[in-house]
Amino acid sequence: MANAGYTFLFPHPCRDAQLPPAENSDSQRNVKTFQGLLLALADYWGGQGCVLLQPYDMEVGAGTFHPDTFLRAIGPEPWGAGHAQPSRRPADGRYGENPNRLQHYYQYQVAIKPSPLNIQEMYLDSLIWLGVDPLEHDIRFVEDNWESPTLGAWGLGWEVWLNGMEITQFTYFQQMGGIECRPVTAEIAYGVERIAMYLQGVDSIFDLVWTDGPRGKISYGDVFRQNETEMSAYNFEYADTTVLASQFDDFERQCKFLVERELARPAYDMVLKASHSFNLLDSRHGISVTERQRYILRVRAMSRQVAQCYLDNRRALGFPLLHEAEVLNNV
Amino acid sequence: MSETADLLVEIGTEELPPKTLRKLSEAFGVALCDRLEAKILGAHQGTVYATPRRLAVLVPEVPTNQPDRDIERRGPALDAAFDAQGNPTKAAEGFARSCGVEVDHLDRYETADGRWLLFRSTAVGESTLSLLPAIVEEALARIPIARRMRWSNLDVEFVRPVHWVTLLYGSDSVEVDIMGVRSGGNTYGHRFHHPQSVALSEPSEYAKTLYGGAHVIAEFAARKEVIRTQVEEAAESTGGHAVIDEALLEENAALVEWPVAVTGSFDVLYLALPDCVLTATMQGHQRYFPIAGDDGALMPHFVAISNIESSNPDTVRHGNERVIRPRLADAAFFFEADQKKSLEERRDSLKDVVYQEKLGSVYDKSERVSHLAGIVAIAMGHNPDEVKLARRAGTLFKCDLVTDMVGEFPELQGAMGREYALAGGEDIPVAIAIGESYMPRFAGDTIPSSSIGRALSVADRLDTLMGIFLIGQAPTGDKDPFALRRTALGALRIMIEGELPLDLHKLLKSTADGFAQFSDSAGVVDEVMEFVLERLKGYFVDQGVPVDVFQAVQAREPREPYDFAKRVHAVDAFRKLPEAASLAAANKRIQNILKQAADAVPEKVDDSLFAEDAEWNLAAKTLGLSPRVRELLKMRDYTTAMTSLAGLREGVDDFFDNVKVMDDDERLRKNRLSLLQSISNLFLETADISKLQT
Repeated sequence: MANAGYTFLFPHPCRDAQLPPAENSDSQRNVKTFQGLLLALADYWGGQGCVLLQPYDMEVGAGTFHPDTFLRAIGPEPWGAGHAQPSRRPADGRYGENPNRLQHYYQYQVAIKPSPLNIQEMYLDSLIWLGVDPLEHDIRFVEDNWESPTLGAWGLGWEVWLNGMEITQFTYFQQMGGIECRPVTAEIAYGVERIAMYLQGVDSIFDLVWTDGPRGKISYGDVFRQNETEMSAYNFEYADTTVLASQFDDFERQCKFLVERELARPAYDMVLKASHSFNLLDSRHGISVTERQRYILRVRAMSRQVAQCYLDNRRALGFPLLHEAEVLNNV
Repeated sequence: MSETADLLVEIGTEELPPKTLRKLSEAFGVALCDRLEAKILGAHQGTVYATPRRLAVLVPEVPTNQPDRDIERRGPALDAAFDAQGNPTKAAEGFARSCGVEVDHLDRYETADGRWLLFRSTAVGESTLSLLPAIVEEALARIPIARRMRWSNLDVEFVRPVHWVTLLYGSDSVEVDIMGVRSGGNTYGHRFHHPQSVALSEPSEYAKTLYGGAHVIAEFAARKEVIRTQVEEAAESTGGHAVIDEALLEENAALVEWPVAVTGSFDVLYLALPDCVLTATMQGHQRYFPIAGDDGALMPHFVAISNIESSNPDTVRHGNERVIRPRLADAAFFFEADQKKSLEERRDSLKDVVYQEKLGSVYDKSERVSHLAGIVAIAMGHNPDEVKLARRAGTLFKCDLVTDMVGEFPELQGAMGREYALAGGEDIPVAIAIGESYMPRFAGDTIPSSSIGRALSVADRLDTLMGIFLIGQAPTGDKDPFALRRTALGALRIMIEGELPLDLHKLLKSTADGFAQFSDSAGVVDEVMEFVLERLKGYFVDQGVPVDVFQAVQAREPREPYDFAKRVHAVDAFRKLPEAASLAAANKRIQNILKQAADAVPEKVDDSLFAEDAEWNLAAKTLGLSPRVRELLKMRDYTTAMTSLAGLREGVDDFFDNVKVMDDDERLRKNRLSLLQSISNLFLETADISKLQT
């Protein structure tokens, strides 16, 4: 029970308040493997009371698009979740030839609302959990505010530096889908490949050890290199721009249709599909600068409608998670 | 004099935005002192402290109490306050009641206007301790913050989440709820080295205590200098010297509480990259300081400023080296890949880059600028070969926008164009001009050093101005989305400081000709001219030239900014001469006389018509000065010309003292007017000095 009765190494100034200690980690993960790292992060955040989710099953550009971040950040209900999320950035592909750039990679996504007052300390302790000693390494919070024109969202925060390397995006959401965030959600997006490269001391993502067990050593390249090569070809050369453009129109139409029927979740899926179509069009250079701006505004309009619809639906349900939180707060 | 005590206010936060940290702390200091003064606690000058995690102000010797104040309140007039029997009326009683006393205790007050009841009392000053919560709260609310944020489920807003507030007055800590936390007398140390609370014995011990035991250098300026020294020493240890950009130094000071320099290295093979690329990689992404050798060329080393006295400094060094390596590898890849296509070959891609919807592509712009750069070069007196170079530079100067390197490092636009032009075998002046085409980039930046670079930069700026005015997007009020003010000022600076005799109005007409799709542009030319002249006024005002000096010159409507500037400097020098006031007044008088005179003034002064010594003397003096002044004016040496004309003062004064201009004799009168006209004209060659407010 390594994590049991865990106390924060870095006391939060002026406060005694602490989340319940993590209790579910009974094994030391091997963070020198990629999967061990993901498991260790899950252990840690699970121990902080987060719902441990699985990745969303659709293409998203970042963990923020996961409905359990985007939608859960809206409205008064508390939330806390952690999960890995594959991020698809078609234009970032390099055919598997660049050791640092991929069109498909992972984030470990954590979203907690209201942001705990000691969220920075919780994050730092997660690094210690991974074996990073803050008195040996230079860890810094460097201003990097976030804005998503497609999500009608913005927040303030930092990129976290580990000896000069950006390893995490840390954001306090202020607005989502055009709706003010009250209370505020803290989002932590770990760049897990980067952290793994650091912990494993390798210079290429593809050389990362994914696992090293009874069935031998498997590298990140073994798992994903072919995917990078072929997907890059698709993203840059073969994605059918005519089809994508018409799909975008369809998704937009369906989104509107679903919002009119007050079906926020499927409508949001349409936003994700439209957004991915747009990203592919972009990587195919299938749109001019002016058109590009117009597409962004169209996605934004969709996400705003969905955000409002979701909020209305939750209100109609009486914000079910709110009640439970009040009980918890009174303990 | 009442007692005083020192006051310390510290706001402990999560990491503050580095680029505004210093301003925030200064604004906090000003706001706090302002609030102290507003609460009648005297005028103060606080010492401000700022680190990534704290804003603090130390105000010495704040009085412990507001002073007691005498209060006087006027009541009803005596006539209305007492009836005929001398008994207090309802009005008097009401007033007394409102003052909380009996009518008997009220004073009487008499002026020439009448007599009233008066209430006198002394308001006892409140204690500073009791006033502090409001003072701090109000001061925090007054800090100008571009984007305030909320956090958790609190109702407060600040730059970043607040975690503690230290409020120490003398030896008293003040406990109050501010920004969602309870204030107290303790502070906290470095995030990692000393996360525990730190007790402060008294406010003035603040910086010393944090430095001594808590791994924090609280003073921004001191920390910055520590970093400078560390960076310089670290660079020397590699055998080179640090390339220190002040803004970067400032940013680093805002990113650490306890600076520790780390020296790292990278593979020498990356030194094949242009210095601007190496510098952008090190400074822009990583906030590193590059190191240069004695020859000025960069060395394969850098200095990073960390925020930790690491238990194993090699870890920090290795880490930073690992980060810079792939970045340099990327840059090297871009540099090589970009050169597979010449700038010329990239021109067509510019057709796909929108410059402005109604003004076409960047390709269209480069075509216009190329043509205009040729016209500017001709006006600058260049020979046909040089004019060709200017045109060529205009053709190519935007081509680097479609290179991968500029895609990655937008700040290298221009600089990369220059590198790729050189690599592609373009003429050196063309490459230099491309590299200088964005200069001056900001106020105080240098103007292009090369003549072709100046022609190109001026052409580009005039094209931008004209284009945006033509589509009706001229700046209004505070709104200047295309930064046209800066654009105009840049063009002016190049013309003036580059001493280019360019007729701006004529050039603007040529510029307008480049926009064939806009048929009626004549009015816009004047609009742009007026806009640029307005910037010219600002340019001189910034140099301390009074507005009336500018107006005196503007009255003559010089069309060459360089000529305009020379005249301004001449008038500004003239203004400081002892003769200036009297001559300015005389010129005003002359202009009024000439305006009022109905006579047609003969061009030539007739010596035989002088009746008075004074007019004879003045004419002689004027005639004597004229050829020299005309010669000076021809050489545009306005300053010497104006100084010479100052010599007319005595003669002019004497003339007005002794000569009646509007003589009844028409011939005498006209001759005198003619003399005055010739004098006025000599001054007007430079400026209308009658406009000087002396």
